[in-house]
Amino acid sequence: MATSDLTAVFDRDAEGSRPVALTLLSGALAALFLSPLVWVVANALDADGALELLTAPTTVEVFVNSGFLVAGVTLGSLVVGVPAAYLTVRTDMPFKRPLTVLLAMPLVIPSYIGAFAFVSAFGPRGTVQDFLVPLGVESLPSIYGLAGTVLVLTLYTYPYVFLTTRAALKSMDTTLVDAARTLGLGRREAFRRVTLPQIRPAIAAGALLVALYALSDFGTPSVMRYSVFTSVIYSVYGDVLGGGRDLAAMLSLQLVVVTTVILAIESRVRGSGVTAESPNARATPLRLGRWRYVAVGACLFVAALAMAVPLGVLTNWLLVAGSPTNSALAFEFGYVTNSVAVAAAAALFAGLAALPIAYLAARSDRTLPSLFERASYVGYAVPGVVMGLALVYFGARYGGDLYRNGLILLPLLVFAYVVRFLPQAVGSSRASVEQVSGRLPEAARTLGRSPTEAFRDVTLPLVAPGVAAGAALVFLTTMKELPATLMLRPAGFDTLVTRVWTAYESGYVGQAALPAFVLLFVSALSMLLILRMEGYDVE
Amino acid sequence: MNDSSASRRRYLAGLGTAVTAGLAGCGSLLGGDGTPTGTDTGDEEDPDVGQIGSGREGREAPGGTPIAELPDLSGELDVYSGRGEALVGPLFSELEDIYPDFSVRPRYDGSTDLVNRILTEGSNAAADVFYSVNAGALGALAAEGRTLELPERVTSVVPDAYQDAEGRWIGTSGRARTIPYNTDRYDESDIPTDVLAFPDDADLAGSTGWAPVYGSFQAFVTAMRVLNDRETTLSWLNGMQDAGVQQYGDEFAIAQAIADGELGAGFANHYYTLRVLDARPDAPLDIAFTEGDAGAIFNVAGASVVDTAGEDRELAENFVRHLLSAEAQEYFATTTFEYPMIPGVEPVQPGSIDLPTIDQLNPPEGLDLSQLADLGPTLEVMREAGLNV
Repeated sequence: MATSDLTAVFDRDAEGSRPVALTLLSGALAALFLSPLVWVVANALDADGALELLTAPTTVEVFVNSGFLVAGVTLGSLVVGVPAAYLTVRTDMPFKRPLTVLLAMPLVIPSYIGAFAFVSAFGPRGTVQDFLVPLGVESLPSIYGLAGTVLVLTLYTYPYVFLTTRAALKSMDTTLVDAARTLGLGRREAFRRVTLPQIRPAIAAGALLVALYALSDFGTPSVMRYSVFTSVIYSVYGDVLGGGRDLAAMLSLQLVVVTTVILAIESRVRGSGVTAESPNARATPLRLGRWRYVAVGACLFVAALAMAVPLGVLTNWLLVAGSPTNSALAFEFGYVTNSVAVAAAAALFAGLAALPIAYLAARSDRTLPSLFERASYVGYAVPGVVMGLALVYFGARYGGDLYRNGLILLPLLVFAYVVRFLPQAVGSSRASVEQVSGRLPEAARTLGRSPTEAFRDVTLPLVAPGVAAGAALVFLTTMKELPATLMLRPAGFDTLVTRVWTAYESGYVGQAALPAFVLLFVSALSMLLILRMEGYDVE
Repeated sequence: MNDSSASRRRYLAGLGTAVTAGLAGCGSLLGGDGTPTGTDTGDEEDPDVGQIGSGREGREAPGGTPIAELPDLSGELDVYSGRGEALVGPLFSELEDIYPDFSVRPRYDGSTDLVNRILTEGSNAAADVFYSVNAGALGALAAEGRTLELPERVTSVVPDAYQDAEGRWIGTSGRARTIPYNTDRYDESDIPTDVLAFPDDADLAGSTGWAPVYGSFQAFVTAMRVLNDRETTLSWLNGMQDAGVQQYGDEFAIAQAIADGELGAGFANHYYTLRVLDARPDAPLDIAFTEGDAGAIFNVAGASVVDTAGEDRELAENFVRHLLSAEAQEYFATTTFEYPMIPGVEPVQPGSIDLPTIDQLNPPEGLDLSQLADLGPTLEVMREAGLNV
């Protein structure tokens, strides 16, 4: 079906020429995903008083704040994600399978729920503080502000680095490491000179996702009382009569500019990567000796910190659910199927769209494909509210009655998800394509396979884990998305996350906890499926 | 038709019984036992029928016009609701049960989000009615020329102060700005009656809280800007920060922090205190009021008919009229602890609190609620004071 159409597009690739069809396809996709930005740019041009706002002292301050936040969270995710990936793939650490699952799990928790949980646990007069008072601890260091925000965001975004790095380590050509060791290099030296260059693109791809998430997130910094650029966007957006939508669009463009800077940094850091001639070769794992238990402890600590706090707080909400319940908030199974359906659709389309874009960008050293790939990242930086408005504009303008009666809202919603989260699929797809040497499909060609067959039988199986992992990331992120979902859902269409919002904002925390738990449970199941997928299994 | 109106009469009779009986001892806010409202079975004895208006123990039957005396609703109505589904969902369902030919298609989001959405959708918006949590969003939509004038049969029900002078929106329930305070730490006499005196009050220094990003707080600062002037507002904001005011994300959190003793006092809408007291009757929490200034404004949640209502215009107007019925007003008073908009329905006072009635309040003279839509200069002055909004 779609796969055969896709493979046909890759037709002449194995002969080393750049297929025009593929370039056209990537270009068309990039243009499609950039289209909502037309509205953002058009509105930004209408913005009055934009210059005053941009140069106001507080705007400069929040801009700097955003910079610190992005740097801190990115660094934190690397420090946690890369060693965790290495430990779970390349060492003889015990309990690797359960630990891998645990370490990936924080990704299923919406970071704003994590933020609520940390504030109610570690805030002034929070649970932990109350516990410590009898022990003579008068006050904890404040959870609010930069440090707390970095901590919370790191705990819920490091899995991006963890998962992309793991995928690279798993499909890495370990014979190179063995060769380096035979040539007398020490373990550390072999890691630095052989392993790192091979997995660096994947690490960079994960770090890029983390950086852009930290840049465009509104919920977590607002709960943690740390003012960032998105806080200002949210405020001006509320100033309807002062042209709030235009100013919000303008500030969103600022975020896009920052995004391009981050993309440029990532391009420099990524390096060209090293391609594998014999992927999936079994290598001897690193023996940790007595350090094995320290490693297990460290992994457990990180996962427990990220998971136990929100689970504890949600459980507490459920227990205090003796507080009034509201019949309007009764749980329905339909919320689960709605959530899963839109998230699965978004994941599918993101995966399909990511493959040609990532493949071409990885296989070609020309500027154009690389531009298309970079373009796919731009939508990620635009806050959900602004992206939602852009699609509302196009839907209302060109949708006619189909818009008024809500029939095109679901397709628009899925499109919004794909535009916002496509980079998660592109990043890991690209990293996996880069690891596959072009000589492998060539060998298949010399053995008499057609280009399509060579792609289907050789290249696709090797890149499939990366693409699937990317699509899975899109699935998990979509399950958690709130602002665009609220704006674009048809009347009466509810997902788990909208139910959490509805109950929470009315103060029915007990009834917010139930859909939140179901959301975590369904996402966790999906995560297990992801980790079990072929080529992605835990050894 | 005959059939349905007969069953409707029976239904309303049941509703009336429920109202006068006042389902006693209900733990739930809705006055029911948490079971969903049954569809109309025509059984007058069904205690589940007519939860709306069946309020709290010991409440008198509300005054105002009962639903039975209002024009029938029929057709499909698109409501953009900034008020939460938990609150208005049951009310909509109730109306759908009363009128078999009537259905609501609600779209829930933040009030400002919905205004921005209507403006972005242009003439292809699906909205018939916009239902908002505050006057600022209503005023903004009206100022953008996207509302239709409400008929006299709707506007005559509510005092002039709580509606737009040109009939472009109308208040459906009210909220007063208050100073919640911790009764273990202060007496009512310790709380200044002039909002401008707060920054220099040595007693309060370091223990008050505010929520600068919260819409109702920004409406209060807007009022100060309009009633006093920009400079006064700027120095007040700076003074409060010099006095060590604590920042919170919303005002429910402020009321809870005061009940917990984490704060001594704060700035919040009146019903947050009532909600905390409803859950914790023994909390050391009470409310004080400033007098005749920005700290004492009385804001409203309300509704307008959107200019895309088209042939649903009359239905939309009648629907808004139903929000002002005796039963709906009683419902707001008893579930959200808001002030009713019509004479004859009293506000609810949980715990030991002594809440002034609407005519005992002391809001500032010379402030038109529509002026609260002018948020831009407010955000500017707040930014100049170093607040990140």
